[in-house]
Amino acid sequence: MNRLSPTQWLGLAALAALAIALPFAFDPRGYGIRILCLALLFAAMAQAWNIVAGLANQISLGHAAFFGIGAYTSTLLLIHFGVSPWLGMVAAAVLGGIAALLISLPTMRLRGHYFALATLAFGEVMRVIGNSWGGLTGGPVGISVPFSQPNFVLLQFRETRSYYWLMLAALILVTLVFIAIKRSRLGYRLRAIKENADAAEVIGVDTTRTKIIAAVISGALTASLGTLYAQFQFFFDPDTVFGVASVSVRMAMIAIVGGIGTAAGPVLGAFFVIPLEEVANQVFSAQAAGLSQLVFGVLLILVILVEPRGFMAIGPRIKRLLGKGDR
Amino acid sequence: MAVVQAILDGLMIGGVYAVISIGLTLVFGVMGIVNFAQAEFLMLGMFVAYYAWAWLGLDPLLAAPLAFVVVFLLGAAMQRVLIRRVLKAPEVAQIFLTVGLLIVLENAALLMFGSSFRSVSTPYQTSSLQLGPLFVSVPYLAAFAMSVASGLALWIFLKSSWFGRAMRATAQDPMAARLMGINADRMHMLAFALGVGLTAFGGAVILPYLTASPTVGAQFVVLMFTVVVLGGLGSVAGAVVGGLAVGIIQSLSTLVFPIQLQNLVLFVVFIGVLAFRPKGLLGAAR
Amino acid sequence: MATPLLQVSGIGKRFGGLQALSNVSLTVGTGEIVGLIGPNGAGKTTLFSTLVGLYKPDSGSIRLDGRDLVGLKPHRIAAAGMVKTFQNVALFLDSSVLDNVLTGGLMRHSVEEARALARRCLERVGIGAIADKLARDLSFPERARVEVARALCTEPRILLLDEAMAALNHAEMDEFMTLLRQLREEGLTLIVVEHHMRAIMSLCERLVVLNFGQMIATGTPAEIARDPAVVEAYLGRSAA
Repeated sequence: MNRLSPTQWLGLAALAALAIALPFAFDPRGYGIRILCLALLFAAMAQAWNIVAGLANQISLGHAAFFGIGAYTSTLLLIHFGVSPWLGMVAAAVLGGIAALLISLPTMRLRGHYFALATLAFGEVMRVIGNSWGGLTGGPVGISVPFSQPNFVLLQFRETRSYYWLMLAALILVTLVFIAIKRSRLGYRLRAIKENADAAEVIGVDTTRTKIIAAVISGALTASLGTLYAQFQFFFDPDTVFGVASVSVRMAMIAIVGGIGTAAGPVLGAFFVIPLEEVANQVFSAQAAGLSQLVFGVLLILVILVEPRGFMAIGPRIKRLLGKGDR
Repeated sequence: MAVVQAILDGLMIGGVYAVISIGLTLVFGVMGIVNFAQAEFLMLGMFVAYYAWAWLGLDPLLAAPLAFVVVFLLGAAMQRVLIRRVLKAPEVAQIFLTVGLLIVLENAALLMFGSSFRSVSTPYQTSSLQLGPLFVSVPYLAAFAMSVASGLALWIFLKSSWFGRAMRATAQDPMAARLMGINADRMHMLAFALGVGLTAFGGAVILPYLTASPTVGAQFVVLMFTVVVLGGLGSVAGAVVGGLAVGIIQSLSTLVFPIQLQNLVLFVVFIGVLAFRPKGLLGAAR
Repeated sequence: MATPLLQVSGIGKRFGGLQALSNVSLTVGTGEIVGLIGPNGAGKTTLFSTLVGLYKPDSGSIRLDGRDLVGLKPHRIAAAGMVKTFQNVALFLDSSVLDNVLTGGLMRHSVEEARALARRCLERVGIGAIADKLARDLSFPERARVEVARALCTEPRILLLDEAMAALNHAEMDEFMTLLRQLREEGLTLIVVEHHMRAIMSLCERLVVLNFGQMIATGTPAEIARDPAVVEAYLGRSAA
């Protein structure tokens, strides 16, 4: 299926070269490169969400739970035991996967709105725990990653562009996982579940197991991205990393804006939404709190009303319009 | 005795929860849409009542019908312009349209009303009645009474008016309703407007004991969903039972858990009910 | 006599106040084509859904080659070799025909093998040419065939067809029956629910009649046509 043509390979290689070289066009510690980093990170997060939501249509509103677990796991391991965040990331992935398994068990029979509600509540449970268990998490005031000399082992770098390459690698990795799943038996099974779960079961798809496997992969990836976020920001609190609007809805929205269920969608979405939000923040925050969030919400509504399949559907749509014009 | 007192308090606040959640369940029952933005209409109701008090000197209990009317009209407009377009769309579109609406309403309120907390003062605010060893706070009692009244009014409307019966018919069998000459589109608009209006009404009656702020809705989102899921999503009678149950659970859990963990208890109940009785404890879908 | 391939005994299923199936028993031998008939609401589809595990029966046993399948999930029953098609055709509408069919093959094969197998299944049911079409764009007769191909791709031992011919015209129905006979020649066992009496009478050597969830008769098409209980079930229905 869809083997790439030589021209497509060439295009992809050019894109990769461009992506790797891009930071040289920016101030290595400047604001612009920070936004690029966040865009890459959120693209990767949206891609992880896409595995469950895009392929199986299990719309999660609680992925912040895994993200926050990842951020706290590596940070607490570093603070209390001096564990390298690289290892912390592995621990984060394991805990994120376990959390995904635990929430999947009671919710796997749920679909549609019910699944969205249950996952929303799960994210909120984690936020409440994060805020109330001050002894572990530092509570609502937040927690800082101990600052050290730039050090590869401690996943801390002098220049922001080093984080850029790190985030780029993460995005590529998560995207490759997504593509591999999409083309594998798991991907076919997930799509069968999305389209008709009963029919899928009857022709031999273990729908429960399939959904759990996808959820665990998605949760583990999201948690490891939480570690990257912690190392990048150096400071975070429960309301940020476990937030519904700041994480769960945002990663979903990015995937939707770009094109849910497609590999390129989350990337397109992130490079549209994150810079736009930053610009809105820059322009409006001086005038009124809430305005940039308002823009975010309006944008979400517009995308849903105009083209719920996102940017990826616009290309074919234009082609079809042009094609019709020819005849 | 503390337990009896807690149950009594729970019943009082539970009555309010029932009314604000009836709106949510009505929208789902008639249109099959979970309105994630529902709690924002509670916030709007609080602000309508607040400004009615601040500018006109109206008691929030008296302003509640006003809150209902204002938000009813707003809801009708939103149904017409936004919700109607996704009724046949994939669930992901339905979910994120109302999630988007939530974000927009909350932040629009932030821009319009500012982020400060606003509360009213009423003569009965701190008074309470004594019934033997038990105390009933007057604002709680008033809110409860108003909720019961509005719930009854809705019940009578659904049972005996043509609109009410047409709406229930639309919920049960859209196809048959259409054959009987009921305009489903109009019924959806009525249901959505009525649903958010009722929630706003509930927002107004709790203003005497709760402060209004643009983010107040966030406290109620999961609470309202717990209520309707307990009672069975789409069931109005279920929302009443669910509301009282949640009020009592919440009130009793204060005896055992620190205040921050109160919501946690609710979440656990919520996920548990979704997992094991997704059609509600009463088991009756619709 | 050897153990029958499928042995169903005493199946009961209740939905709330409705007894959808009561004490249904039937036996199907390897290579048979058995017709399942009965008035609307007689419980035919419910019986199929119960056999493949979509519903759990309240009582009774379902044995495939001697192994009890009650309580197993549908995918386990599919793995054991029993698969059904859906009355209203439950294809994956936004996927291609080939992807629809190959999903059935994933239970026992890798994606590549399943794809090759799916092409063969499409050829078998005579629609190899439409492999790359989107399921949504198909005509009803094509959809019915894709559904059969997808079920075949699971390599079943026994296939339950629920009104697979409902949308077909006479010519298409004849073609379809030729296909079913050919599948039987190849060793497949079939249970067929069908409303077209002409079709089912000529296709099956044995019929089972359900009415109000109970089995009221079983026998050859000729016997069934003469059976007073069957005649009453049908005429009683049209008289009411």
